[in-house]
Amino acid sequence: MLTVLLVDDDAEFTEVACTIIEFLGHDVLTAATLQEARDWLQKETFDHILLDFMLPDGSGAHLFDELDMLPKRPRVTLITGHPSVKSVIKGLCGPNIDYLVKPIQREDIEAVLSRKPEKAAPKRDKIEKHFDLLIGESPAMQELYKLISRVSKTSANVMLLGESGVGKEVVAAAIHKASDSEGNYIATNCGAFSKELIASELFGHEKGAFTGAVGRKEGVFEQAESGTLFLDEITEMPIDMQPNLLRVLENKVVIRVGGTKTIPVNCRVVSATNRTMEEIAQSKVLREDIYFRLAVFPITIPPLRDRKEDITLLAKTFIEEFNKDNNASFEWDEAQLETLKAYDWPGNVRELRHFVHRAAIMSDPESNALELPKTIESPFAQKQSTTPSLQAGRTIEDVEKELIYATLEKVNGNKTMAAEMLGISTKTLYNRLHAYGDLSKDEQ
Amino acid sequence: MTNEEFSKMSVYVHDARKPLNRISMQAELIKMALNGDIPTQKAVDALDKIIASSKDCSNTLSEMTSELSETVSDSAK
Repeated sequence: MLTVLLVDDDAEFTEVACTIIEFLGHDVLTAATLQEARDWLQKETFDHILLDFMLPDGSGAHLFDELDMLPKRPRVTLITGHPSVKSVIKGLCGPNIDYLVKPIQREDIEAVLSRKPEKAAPKRDKIEKHFDLLIGESPAMQELYKLISRVSKTSANVMLLGESGVGKEVVAAAIHKASDSEGNYIATNCGAFSKELIASELFGHEKGAFTGAVGRKEGVFEQAESGTLFLDEITEMPIDMQPNLLRVLENKVVIRVGGTKTIPVNCRVVSATNRTMEEIAQSKVLREDIYFRLAVFPITIPPLRDRKEDITLLAKTFIEEFNKDNNASFEWDEAQLETLKAYDWPGNVRELRHFVHRAAIMSDPESNALELPKTIESPFAQKQSTTPSLQAGRTIEDVEKELIYATLEKVNGNKTMAAEMLGISTKTLYNRLHAYGDLSKDEQ
Repeated sequence: MTNEEFSKMSVYVHDARKPLNRISMQAELIKMALNGDIPTQKAVDALDKIIASSKDCSNTLSEMTSELSETVSDSAK
């Protein structure tokens, strides 16, 4: 049995609704105005409030802050006369709210009152992180998790292939984590070192091996002893350095630069590249013998656009991270998540993460609502509008007009060129522009 | 239709929905009475109220059409 407060200014409606709610076995009290509702809230505790959006002394939404202050926040169901108000309220009050749209049926009331209050709550917090690192429940990611757990039981070298920003380094760390190895996880970027320095970075050097080598230094192979060595951008390693790497991989020993002693190494090498296997084969950036040594177990990480169902999970995780770090409490609304899903994310998860952080920084810190920029832009991709420009419900004339103006803009108003691009005669173009009232007679 | 006309119409639609909501709720009451959950007299009252609400709704719609036709004839002048 619940204690319900029904707030609505239509006396006839409240009377009947009370009969029904009481028949359903609940206690019900009514209020016709915000003020009456406030009075009741002071005197009684309620499990559920059915709240009309439009009340004589203001909007039902005004009650929200006061409800938050109560020791036990009742569940709220808003009653609205207009379906379109729904999305507005959703933006205002967050996702954990129910609606009834007038005209109301008995089943509607039954449904909202019998809904389990716990239902919405756990859904928003726990997003599972696979291997404590990876987020996503799409089939593509499930497949990836399977590969990671398989390979982690072996000591095989892994090559990670995937576009920039898909999270190759995170996957490498996940492999290390799943391996339960006793050594460290060491990451280095093969593209970040000059030809002269890379040998020292990988294999270490002895004191005085070259100018500036003031002390002895362990290479990353040694540091990753019994652990995992992550070599990022392996295809950017100078090709004439690759035989040295091959020797280490084959013989499992390193010799420091300027040294003579062979040091045994024992680590899994996870390498990564943003080139595809075909590109690697064609462009000769990686010696074939090295490729087979490193890619005993190649894993391709899917781009974000191939697992769009994970965007919601990722976006929520990123905003939670941001909230935690900045003491904020931003939340997504469904429409915004749909917008994010509609975009292709050429920069993948990295781009999404930066986009989310940027949106959070740009949003009003006093509110919980995130403000998205009108367009999601990336210099690496063609501009995409966040509102799809082609929508059902627009007339052909309308779309035609937009296309004509877009083309004209592109060619700086050159009508001959625009007509050519549009595949129409210049005369037709002039006629159209004239019809839009954009051309005076003498210009023709 | 201008914005002003549209908002005027929205008000009428909102007003017309109110009696519809009453009708819907009264109908539920009648269902309950037929099931024997509440006394039959309640159903008779509910039917009267449905008739009243139908008239309300109809009046609101007539008001809306006459008001909107005025603005149409205004703009035609």
